[in-house]
Amino acid sequence: MSLTLLLEKYDVSTEDGLQKALSEIEKEECEVNESLSNALSRACTLEGRLRTASQAYCKLGEVRNDAQVAADMVEKTALLARDVSAKVRQLDLARSRVAECQRRVHDLIDLRVCSAGVDAAIRAHDYETAAGHVARFLSMEPGSVAAARARGAPDPRRDMDAAANTLRDHLVRKFEEASKKEDEAAIERLFKLFPQIGRAEEGVDLLSKYLASQLEVSIRRAATVSELRGDAAVFADSLTRVLECGAAAVERARRLLASAAAPPAQSAHVLLPRAVAVIQPTICAGVRRVCQEMMAARKLVLTDKADPLSVEHALGELALAHSRLQLYFGFLRRRAEVESNMDEAAKSACSEAIENLILGCDATRTAQDVLSHYLTLERYYLEESVNKALKLSAAAGSCSLVDDVFFIARKVIRRSISTGSVDGACAVLNEAGAALERCGAALRRRLAAPPPEPLPFPPPGARPPAAREPGAAPYLQLVGEAAAGAEWAERLAGEACRDAEALCRSERARAKLRSCAAGLGAAAAAFRAAHELALGALRAALAPSAHQWADALVDPDPDSEELDEEANALPAALEALAEEARAAVPHSADALLGGVLAELLARAERTMLRSAYSRAGGLALERRARRLAAWAGGGAPAARERAGALCAAAALLAVERLAHAPDALPPRAPLSPAAARDVLARRTDFKLEDIKRLKL
Amino acid sequence: MEDYKFLFKVVLVGNAGVGKTCLVRRFTQGLFPPGQGATIGVDFMIKTVEVDGEKVKLQIWDTAGQERFRSITQSYYRSAHALILVYDISCQPTFDCLPDWLREIEEYANNKVLRILVGNKTDREDREIPRHIGEDFAQRHGMYFLETSAKEAENVERLFMEIAVELMEQAKCKELPKYDGSLGPINGKTSSVGDGSCCLR
Ligand SMILES: Nc1nc2c(ncn2[C@@H]2O[C@H](COP(=O)(O)OP(=O)(O)OP(=O)(O)O)[C@@H](O)[C@H]2O)c(=O)[nH]1
Ligand SMILES: [Mg+2]
Repeated sequence: MSLTLLLEKYDVSTEDGLQKALSEIEKEECEVNESLSNALSRACTLEGRLRTASQAYCKLGEVRNDAQVAADMVEKTALLARDVSAKVRQLDLARSRVAECQRRVHDLIDLRVCSAGVDAAIRAHDYETAAGHVARFLSMEPGSVAAARARGAPDPRRDMDAAANTLRDHLVRKFEEASKKEDEAAIERLFKLFPQIGRAEEGVDLLSKYLASQLEVSIRRAATVSELRGDAAVFADSLTRVLECGAAAVERARRLLASAAAPPAQSAHVLLPRAVAVIQPTICAGVRRVCQEMMAARKLVLTDKADPLSVEHALGELALAHSRLQLYFGFLRRRAEVESNMDEAAKSACSEAIENLILGCDATRTAQDVLSHYLTLERYYLEESVNKALKLSAAAGSCSLVDDVFFIARKVIRRSISTGSVDGACAVLNEAGAALERCGAALRRRLAAPPPEPLPFPPPGARPPAAREPGAAPYLQLVGEAAAGAEWAERLAGEACRDAEALCRSERARAKLRSCAAGLGAAAAAFRAAHELALGALRAALAPSAHQWADALVDPDPDSEELDEEANALPAALEALAEEARAAVPHSADALLGGVLAELLARAERTMLRSAYSRAGGLALERRARRLAAWAGGGAPAARERAGALCAAAALLAVERLAHAPDALPPRAPLSPAAARDVLARRTDFKLEDIKRLKL
Repeated sequence: MEDYKFLFKVVLVGNAGVGKTCLVRRFTQGLFPPGQGATIGVDFMIKTVEVDGEKVKLQIWDTAGQERFRSITQSYYRSAHALILVYDISCQPTFDCLPDWLREIEEYANNKVLRILVGNKTDREDREIPRHIGEDFAQRHGMYFLETSAKEAENVERLFMEIAVELMEQAKCKELPKYDGSLGPINGKTSSVGDGSCCLR
């Protein structure tokens, strides 16, 4: 408390006040003394701490100095290291330069040796050594040669080029000499030197030319057809020989190419097509010669419109010749694939080059001509053969028309597939489809007019005819053939697709083939149409008799004497018909019987609903209907339901009293209550009101 | 079974080099192939188009014009529903050959086949056959007529679409010959083998 405050607080004018102030001051003095002594006691510890701090400071300075030293050292080391690595790099460079120098020295030495050696080697006819020198020269770095020149040495390139040219001239000359002498060993030896002197293409050309000239001789020999025998495939055989010679030459070229000191890989795929391009024209010429002779000899002589069989042999030979050509092209395509020292890209480039060669070569055109010739002849054969079969079958009344035409169709389709050409097979499939359709149409025309009694189905009471209708059997046979024809056409299409599958080299070709084979479906439809028509005609022919039977079946005035025999008459007649039908037209008998019976039953129902029955009449009808239904159950399942309906109606007509009618109906009878009432109304002794009231 | 209701076979014929393959590829692939090589034998393409909301599959047979393939190409006439006879408006000889082609068609094709005359390459400057000459020829021989450019895609789509429409109309009227014209219609079933050659499915 400050003095002024003290003075304000206490009245120092009074003793008491002074006393109070004094005591206050004293109290304060005590407090101050106490805190002073407190502070003093703390000064001691502070001093201690200060000392330690100043000591630590001194130590830190030392550490700092040490650290500085260390940093300096690290820096120096880094500098040194940088220095060292630069030195190492320089060292490396120096070393590689030394190596290069060494190589160049070698090169220079070799160059000197080469220049000197090549001439010597040529003079000594040691072409291997000479070529080795040139190869060495070619493999030198251009820098070495330049360096040699820069050093003032005479330009070695001129010498080497000159030497290489001389060597090449020598090699070519030697090669030609060897060719003339047909010195095969020398030829192979010399051929292998060309890639070494950087002239692989020239070597391939020379070799191919040699092979081609050799080939010309062997092909001339192979192409001569000495003896024109009509019965042998002399031309196809000769063509085969020509192609075999050609293939052998190509294969030999390929082998030599593969064995010659590896040419630069990037040109390998060029060399094989190059060789083939040189050899192929010779083969093409031989192929054309043989094929032209063949087509002239195996052409259609339309003057003797005799037997289509006369061209069969020519067809076989043409197909064989064409397939041989295809085989050869396949062989060429595979040459590119068997090359093992080519990568995929080179291989496909090679394949493409070969494919273009095939596409552009004359043999391809010859093959197309052969195929065209074959197809023209095949069409003639097919048409004439089918015509002959049709004529024969018409004249004989009947024979195995369908067997015959399908035998022909199958033969021509198979032969067309044997040509190895998808287009050929497709064209013949188209033609065969047309021929078969024509055949189906002819069948249809003949089936449209059936004989009066194609099947024995005498009306009730009549005796079965003693002798069969003379036109019946052939007609029925034709019906069977129409059914078989449809089946055959489809089978043939499937067969053709399967057999020709191997010819298709692309999905497109396969689709084309399938579509053409499906064209046979139209022929199948023609046969089916003929068959349907025949069944209709047969049903129509049986209809009059069936109608009489229907009327007899529901006849209200039975001959009560021979009830049993009478009831069996219709099933017996039907059974006789069925037996005949199953024997004559096994595939169509069921459909036919079903149709006849359905018509018979429909008419019977109609007639029944127009007649009036006594109980006796109803009973007789019921007996007949039951027998018929029983027969239909086994003999004509298609008409069973309809027969059941008639049976149920007959049961109604046979009841003794109207009240029995509901019990007479079998469970699940195929008769509606309304229909049942209509039937009951035919009974003369039942009253209409009673029928209406009846619960059914 | 594929999803289409009608299948029609369209066959292109005409001299070599008139642009049959180019027309087909323009229509089926929408491109004009540079350096198109001569067709070998017969080529085959399929395109499904839609007419009145119904899928129509066109099977297009592109035949080779070169003489040596005649015996192959002739075999395709018979089952064709439509025949497109093409000439090159800038090349008189291709027009002069038309009567020969018509004789071929007479001999091998169904007499009810739909026939269309097409003058191709209208983009070319050096036209030799005026439009009306082609038109006259077509009219005289009861053919439809159209001028096209496969290169410029002119009338190509229209050519095939009109064929599809016309054939479909015929098919709906049951006029379309199923086979051998003399036989009349048979129940419109196709065979169970592959495509069948009938149009109605
Ligand atoms: N300027 C022009 N050139 C066309 C046209 N269409 C085709 N060409 C050219 O005609 C040439 C023959 O065309 P292709 O389509 O191969 O003829 P193509 O009728 O199929 O011939 P073949 O198959 O031999 O019967 C090609 O060079 C095409 O470029 C066209 O519309 N305009
Ligand atoms: Mg073409």
